[in-house]
Formats: sequence, C-alpha cells, structure tokens
Amino acid sequence: MFNKGFPQDKQVTYAGMLWLLAAQLVVMAPLAFYLPVWILPVLLFSAAWRIRVMKGHLEQPGIIIKLFVAVLGIAALSISGLKLISLDMMASLLMLGFAYKTLEVIQRRDAMVVLLTGFLLIGVSFLYSQSILSALYGVFALIVLAGTMIAIQQSKSHSILATLRSASLMVLLCLPLMLVFFIFSPRFSPLWTIPLEASQGKTGISDSMTPGDIAKLSKSDELAFTVTFEGELPKQNELYWRGLVLQYFDGKTWTPFSNKLEFSDIKRQLKISRSELKKRLVKKGYGKKYEVIYEKTAQPWLFALSPVVDIRGNAFFTTDFRIIAERNILEPMMMTVVSYPETLRDVILPDSTRQLALQLPPEGNNKSRKLAKELLKQSSSKQEYINTILNRYTQQDFYYTLRPPVLGERDTIDKFLFKSKKGFCAHYAGSFVFMMRAAGIPARIVTGYQGGTLNEKGKFLSIRQYDAHAWTEIWLENQGWIRIDPTASVAPDRVEKNLEAAVEKEGSFLEGKVFSMAKYKWLNSLKNKLDSTQYAWRRFVLSYDNETQKSLLKRLFGEITVHKIATVVGAFFVVIILFWSIFLGLGRKSAKEAQEHQIYRRFCALLAKHGVSREPSQTPQAFSQYASQQLPQLAGDINAFSQLYSELCYNPEKQSNSRENNSQNIKALKVLLKTIKKKL
Amino acid sequence: MFSKQYRQTLREKWLAERFPNTKEITLGLKRIFVMPTMTSAALLLALFVLLLMAINFQSSLIYGLTFWLLALIIISVFFTYRNLSEVTVRAIQASSCFAGEKAVFELEISCPEGQKKSAISVGWKFQDFTTIDLLNQNSVSIKLSHETLKRGIFKPKRVSIFTTFPIGLVVAWSYASLEMQSIVYPTPLLQESSEDGLSLAEDAEQGKEIIRGSTDFSGVRQYQVGDSPKHIHWPSYAKTGEAYTKTFVDYANQDLWLEWNSLALKGIETKLSHLCAKVLQYHQDHQIYGLKIPGKTIQPSSGEAHKTICLTALALYGIS
Repeated sequence: MFNKGFPQDKQVTYAGMLWLLAAQLVVMAPLAFYLPVWILPVLLFSAAWRIRVMKGHLEQPGIIIKLFVAVLGIAALSISGLKLISLDMMASLLMLGFAYKTLEVIQRRDAMVVLLTGFLLIGVSFLYSQSILSALYGVFALIVLAGTMIAIQQSKSHSILATLRSASLMVLLCLPLMLVFFIFSPRFSPLWTIPLEASQGKTGISDSMTPGDIAKLSKSDELAFTVTFEGELPKQNELYWRGLVLQYFDGKTWTPFSNKLEFSDIKRQLKISRSELKKRLVKKGYGKKYEVIYEKTAQPWLFALSPVVDIRGNAFFTTDFRIIAERNILEPMMMTVVSYPETLRDVILPDSTRQLALQLPPEGNNKSRKLAKELLKQSSSKQEYINTILNRYTQQDFYYTLRPPVLGERDTIDKFLFKSKKGFCAHYAGSFVFMMRAAGIPARIVTGYQGGTLNEKGKFLSIRQYDAHAWTEIWLENQGWIRIDPTASVAPDRVEKNLEAAVEKEGSFLEGKVFSMAKYKWLNSLKNKLDSTQYAWRRFVLSYDNETQKSLLKRLFGEITVHKIATVVGAFFVVIILFWSIFLGLGRKSAKEAQEHQIYRRFCALLAKHGVSREPSQTPQAFSQYASQQLPQLAGDINAFSQLYSELCYNPEKQSNSRENNSQNIKALKVLLKTIKKKL
Repeated sequence: MFSKQYRQTLREKWLAERFPNTKEITLGLKRIFVMPTMTSAALLLALFVLLLMAINFQSSLIYGLTFWLLALIIISVFFTYRNLSEVTVRAIQASSCFAGEKAVFELEISCPEGQKKSAISVGWKFQDFTTIDLLNQNSVSIKLSHETLKRGIFKPKRVSIFTTFPIGLVVAWSYASLEMQSIVYPTPLLQESSEDGLSLAEDAEQGKEIIRGSTDFSGVRQYQVGDSPKHIHWPSYAKTGEAYTKTFVDYANQDLWLEWNSLALKGIETKLSHLCAKVLQYHQDHQIYGLKIPGKTIQPSSGEAHKTICLTALALYGIS
C-alpha cells in the first residue's frame, strides 16, 4: 500500500551488494561438497561484473550476453554427469540461477529474490547433510541472510558488525517460537513419492549378496542405526539384526526373488497383518523392547532381532518375519520394537516357502553337490549332517579374511569349499546354504548386522556398517526356522566380540581409511561423548515425527486433546510475546512528564469542563488572561496559578532550586488548583 | 455493503479521532499500524515450497528452517514496530508560497535519548517524502514540500510516517496531523490590457515633494559623498568639471495605490492575481505603495514586511 505514492529509491547500495555476495557464498559453500563446484566461480564472476558496473567501469550486460551465459551454464550442467531428473540436477539448477541472478540485482526486489532462493538453498543443503554441524551452519547462514535483508534496507552503509549483531539478535529471538512450532505443529506423511534421490544414493546393506559386497561395507565406520534397550542388554552373540532374507541363488549371486521387483510388488508379496503373523509364531521365552533410530539409507530395510511381534512406527510385518519401512528412509527414523528372540517361527512350513528355500540353479558346483550327497548318506540324521558341514569349516583349513581371493563367475561354491577356503561371512553363509539345499534341507541366507558397540555413557548400542554380516536360517521339523551362523565356527571372535577382534592378526580392520576414530582406542572416551551427542540429536531432533510427537506430548501433557494442545500453545505464544516485548523494551512507559506539567494539564481539563478551553497555541499567560475574563470570580486564583506555573517552567532561578524547594513549589501549585476546584 | 464514499467518511472520522490536530505527536501503540509487505507474501511462498520439501523428504531440519522463517516474519512485526514507536513528529514552521507552487513545511523528527531508529520515511503520498535515520542524534529536522492549488490558507493533510526497517517483511506506519498552515498567495498574473489599478495624480506640483525619492527627476544639486554614481548628472560634469547629482522626488500624497475598485477586470481571482503581480513589481522597484481591497486598507509603505502584509491580505481576501 505504501509503494504507490512513495517512489522510494529502492536500488541496492554498494554495501548491500557486498552483503548479498557474502550471503550467497555462505549459502553455496556447503553445497559445493555435493554439487558441481564450478558454480561457485560463476557466482564470483557475476558478482564481480555487477560490482564493476556499480563502480562505473563496465556496462550492464545486454540480453544477448545474459542468454549466452545462461545457455553456457545449462550446457555445462548437462555434461557434468548429473542425472536429468534428480535432486542433484534440481539443486544445481537452483544454484546456477542463484549465482546468475547476482548480475541482475539492481533493485531491492531483485535482491529479495536472491535471498528467498538462498533460504530454499539452505533447505536443500539439509537434504545432503543433517549433522549437528550442518544445522549450526544453517543457522549461521540464516543470520547472514537476515543481515543482508537489513543491509539492503539501510540507506547508508553501517558497520558490518552492528548489522550482524542485530541480525543475530532477531534470528536468535525467533528460537523459542520456532521450537513451539517445531514441537506442536502437525506432521504430515509425504504427499507424493519422490523420484529425486540424493547423489550418495543407497547406503548400507543392499538387497542382493555377491561375496565381496559385505567386505566392502566392512571398510566403513558409518553409523547404520542405534538401539536403546529397555531392561537388560542381550548378549553380544545374540545380537543378530535381521534385515534381508535372500532365497534365490543363480550360481553366483543371492537375491530375495528370482527377478528384481519394484517396492510395491515386494510389499504385496510379503506384507502380512499382525494376526496372520501371530498364527505363524509359537511364542516362547522372554520379550525384548527396544528403541531403534535408523539412519538414512534411501532404502526401506529395517533391522531388528527376530521375530518382531510389535512395532510402533511406520512399518509393516512380512511373511519372513522381518519388518520393512513403508517408504525409503531419507531421514533418521525412530521406531519402538518388541522382539521375542526364542519364539518358534513357521513350525508348519508353507509349501511355497519350502520350494523357495530348496531352490538351486540347475547345474554348476557339481563337486559340492556330490559331497553333500555323500555326507548325507553317512549321517544318521539331518542334525548330524548339519554338524558335519559346520565341523568341516573348523577342521579343515578355512580361514576368515577380509581379503578373500577372487572366485570368478562359475562354480564359486566349489572353488571356495575345495580350493581357496578363504572367505568372509558371505562365503560361509552362501556355501552353507548351498550344502543344506543340496541335501534337501530348506535353508536361506539372512543379511543384516551382528553385534554393536555399547556407548557406556548413553547406554545405547551403535551398529555401524562394519558390523554388517550374513548368516543362515534352516528349517527343521518341530523347530521351525533356526539361525545358524557358519562364520561363528570359523571365527568365533567375530560373533563373540566384533569384527576388529576377528581380523586383528590380519590388520585389515577399516583398511583404507586413513583416519577413523574407531581405529584409535585412546580416542574412545571422546568418541563416546561425540556419539552420545549425535545420538541425542538423532533421537530428539532428526527422528522427530508423528509418532514421537504423539508420545512426547502424551508424556508431557497426558491424554492429548485438541483443546488441551491449543491452550498450551496459546500459553506459549503469550509468554513468548511478553518476553519479546519486554526484551525489546516495548512495554516501557514513555518518560514521565514533569509534575508541574501534569498539574497544569489537570488545571486545563478542569477549566475546559466549565467551558473555558485552551487553544493549543495559547501560551499559559494568554490562556490565563482569557480564563480570567471568562471566569472573573476566579481571576485572582487563576492568575496566581498560571504565574507560579510559568515561573516553574521558564524561570531559571526557580528551576535551579534544590529538590526540596521544588517539591514545595509543586505543593503550592497543587493547593492553588484545589482552591480553584472548590470555588468552581 | 457500504458505499465507498461512506466508508471513506467513516475512515476519515476514525482517523480524525485517533490523530487530533496537534503541534507534535509521539507515536505509540494506539497510533502505529503494522502490515506485512509483499516481501512477506513472497517469503510465505518460499516457506510453502520449504514445507513441501520438509513433508516429502520427512526432514526435521527443513521443518525447523520453515518454522524459523515463520517466526522471523512474526518477530519482524515487533522489530519494525519498535523502529517507529516513541518517535515524535513536531511541526516547526511552514513557508508561504504562491498558488500552484509548492509550500515547504519544516518538521522535526525525534526519538528518546539512547534509542536508534533507521530508515524512517516521512511525507505525503504523491507529494514529497524523505527518509531519515536517527542514529547518533536524537532529532533531525526535515523539509517537505506540498503543492498548493488555490490561494488561502493551506493546511496539509496528515503526514504519513512509515518504516520497513529492519528486514522489510513488515511495514509499520502512522500519521501525524500537525497544526501547520501555509498562507498561499494568489498566483501573480499581470493583466496588460487593463487599467492597472493605479491612481497616481497627474500634477505632481500640487503634492509635497519628498526629497531624494527615486521616481521623478526634479533637478540637480552638488555632489555629496555617498551619492550613487548612477545619479551623477554627467552633462553638467562635462560642462563645469564639477559633479552634480540628479535629484528625484516621490510624491507623498500621491503614493502608489493599488485599488480594487479601479480595476476594470472581471472575476475576483483575476483581480487578486493582478494585484499580487503588481505588489511584487512595486516591491521589486522599491516603490512605496498601498493596497485597498474591500474590507481592508493597507497604508503605503515599502519593504519585505509590507510586501508580506499585502500578499497575505490578498491571500486571505474573502476568507474569514
């Protein structure tokens, strides 16, 4: 409404331009780690041009140059190897526009467009990294952007520090209100599935297993998930975090199904209801309740002790006793899980499952098949056969290593069992399931994680990528599916302790990682501290969603009703607004009027009531004369009063009197006013 | 529901109550209005995009960012309000001008000691405004001009005072209805064809001469120190070699009278414009002149003060 009629000079000043450039650099810097770095020089080029134009050295570029530069930029993006429809591409385009726009910033409005894009880019940077550090940097960027908003409002340039200080004050004062919004505002489930995926793509365990995959994971100390147990911690060798079941073997690779399926198909095939699940279980033993925070993997797989009988979170149960998230995990996700590890699963095996669990490729690995037949003949029972196979791993010269030899394309099981005998968990699990199936025992491979490191301080388990593991499940009459870990026979340390202990001699733990805290024992306490801070960050901030919101509000305010929440939020609002008003000095009364003026105003009001009102332009003296004429019976008092008032106001001698004297004068003035009042 | 005009009157009435005419006004809670700007609307749009991002990527941090910016819009209401609150606007003086010209008003903008105000704009819509800072000084005096259309007393409308500082998301504004008036003189417009309203008696002899006037040549006398060289009578200097000074006389009882009644012009305003032009002309020529208009007679005199009196009389003709 004020734009019309007030043609303000809305050009961005030189100082404002420098601020804008700084803000752009601050916003773009973290994104340069993930996106084409050459966009940064584009920004510098645009800014340099604009600044030279402002200084009068250069002309503002014409439309042809602008078009040329824009086409050049887009061409460079298209050959930079980003997928066309991907988050990276979108973010890069946004950044490119952000950088180019600098060239066009003349009016404040243009600068605002750049700043708004800047806010969006802070958001985009959070898609790439969600660490505490990133969040803090985001706040810093927010302050710089706010500072730029201030700087472009200023007509003259002010000191950078002062502007930065007021921007910080503004942004930090927002914190309480932002927290109220954050805690109380409803959370929604995604409106549409996101085709854009971040460049790092999927992490963690993949949905297929070729010997060597897990060995690759073992080189990473990235966090996979954290677990907090309610009650006692299970023993280390019971911590099998089951994630994927691989049933199909093509001679080289193990996969869940014979062909690759879309997530929706997987869900259709595997999802079962809680009651169906209960029918397939014979509950036994004790229950374990725990809270898991899954890290971002861009995959839907969840890892838990099997079988899970209860979950709180956005996930479903499956026929193979797993839990799977309803969607890919793009943000740390928290879930409360209850497992009964001793429960019997599938005591009656459905035929379809049995068929899958006996599948073998029609040919190949003939030596192993022959061996299986021979050993089965020699054994009196299935159990004995199983023990024979497991014993083979220990008795013969099998060796657990993170540096297994390459086995080639064909007969990989034969090569492993009879020739190299060196392998990693995937080799042992794969060969074991092969031997079982070859003997007609239903078996399958399970991948996931094994073990975990207890953080003494935070009392939580951290499961890292190097805890990735593969083991097996076989089905036996009356027992259902039972877990067998062939690796435990070869390298008991892997299961009893951890990977590091298992490959201690080899020294291949976290090989290739130059600096990793996990490698250095003496850093442990610092690492623990950091881990528990990060745990809290994930637990309370990153995984804050509908579920956690509900439970938090319930814990704080009891049963949740709309009315109650509205009252609480309203109360918070009032408190915050009061705090702001007091902090900003808005509630302060304006400086108190001197007493004599107050009394004089009362005097004027009194006379006005009796029809003698004072024009604002009348001096006290003139008014006194006028009033005396109008109210002759009071002339003396009015004159005396006005005289005293004038003296108090204008006579320096009276003014410089001591305070005591002054109060006497005020008293006299009051008495005079009283007499006038009485007479009236 | 209500006609536009009715709403306008209601608004005017409401504003008049809230902003009484005063010499000075201090802006406070009751008088400051706050509204989001278009920038806020654009930011809200960006927030919507951010919210979609937060929902679809289930990102707590983006939720946080969205809420933080929302809070920023809200807190900027307080900051912008603070930038305007306790600002005092005081009328200092108003200059007179001729109708059609711009009257200049001088105002003082001040704030309590120890406070800092930035980028406060003061002015009239479509007229003139200026933007000031109160950083190291507590008060600033500014001059604003306002165009005038007709002669008389010009009282400007309420002055708008507004600011979008610090971050431009919100505009806080208020008005000051200041007791200020400018006297607007008629537009000077000489009517050549007319009788010029001048009643100067022809026979100067009958009048008493005022020696050393400046109008009519009366003779020469010996040069005295201090005489203007312009008045030296050069022909006699050439003849005698002595300097003589020309003397002039004005006629005291034959002063220049600008008389309304002797003007053969039609229309009040035309007459006033003509008289105004004449006043200016005589003043320029250092004449002594008087003014007679219905209801007012101003005795002949000269000088700046006299001119102002005459022009004011013309400006206020017919206006109580």
